[in-house]
Amino acid sequence: MENFEQRLSRPPLKPIPAEWRAETLMAARAAQPSRHLSPVTRHSRLSTINSPLTILFWPHPKAWAGLAAVWILILAVDFSTCDPSPRIAEKSAPPAPEVMVELKKQQLLFAELVGAHEPLDADRQKRFAPKPRSECGELLRT
Amino acid sequence: MKMPGGIDIERLYDEHAQPLYAFLLNFARNEPDTRDLLQEVFVKIAREPERLVGVREKRAFLIRLAHNAAIDLIRRRGTRDRTKENFAAEMIFPFAPTDDPDEKVYREELAAALGELPAEQRAVVHLKLREGLTFEAIAAALEIPPNAAASRYRYGLDKLRGRLRPLYEEIK
Repeated sequence: MENFEQRLSRPPLKPIPAEWRAETLMAARAAQPSRHLSPVTRHSRLSTINSPLTILFWPHPKAWAGLAAVWILILAVDFSTCDPSPRIAEKSAPPAPEVMVELKKQQLLFAELVGAHEPLDADRQKRFAPKPRSECGELLRT
Repeated sequence: MKMPGGIDIERLYDEHAQPLYAFLLNFARNEPDTRDLLQEVFVKIAREPERLVGVREKRAFLIRLAHNAAIDLIRRRGTRDRTKENFAAEMIFPFAPTDDPDEKVYREELAAALGELPAEQRAVVHLKLREGLTFEAIAAALEIPPNAAASRYRYGLDKLRGRLRPLYEEIK
């Protein structure tokens, strides 16, 4: 390096302002977590959930999975059958008393119209005389 | 503050901020821009510390980042602000103050002469004289061919010599 070049490189340069250090490092720190903290944090958060689950399911994970599948199946079957049952209940519900009274009236009217003083079904049962077993067998064969 | 890859940003700052500051101040010739650019470099490293992993010449790498950031800034500003930039270039003083009157005059003249150089010549002259880099290293840092680095240096040096010769002879 010639003398002129040495002369050019001699004057000391202005020092960097001291306060820049804090603000530059602060900006660098602020930039860092957005990108690099997340994998570690994600890992730790996942591990906090994962570890109790591992303790619970570790001995027989397949058995637990099977049990879960069975429960899902039971729930699915239950859901599929729960809709029609109220309709069946509605159908099999006893009629209202007013309807029963009306039916009784219609039955009596029908009996009068037929003209016979035949007893009603309820009375007929009372007068029924059981026959010997041998006759029952004959009746069944015919 | 350790980052992935074992890079300590504070240590990195303490080792390289002063030379980066000198380079950027000499290149941008503007103190607020130099501060923004320096911060940009360290924020970039903090964001992507893996960029420094395996880098042997960290100084050269950081200078390259700083140079690219400065080029981007100049491009962003566009033509409109160039007059203002040139004015600032005349006013900037990149050297430490001194009590010696002759030395003071010399430093002021040198600062003005450096300000008159094109930015790319100024960058090469600075890296050669202040950082002691080879033309190959300068070429790698500024992403130019080594021949271009050498020629820019010679042109810059000739201009400085012509500009400072009367003063240099007087002081000598």
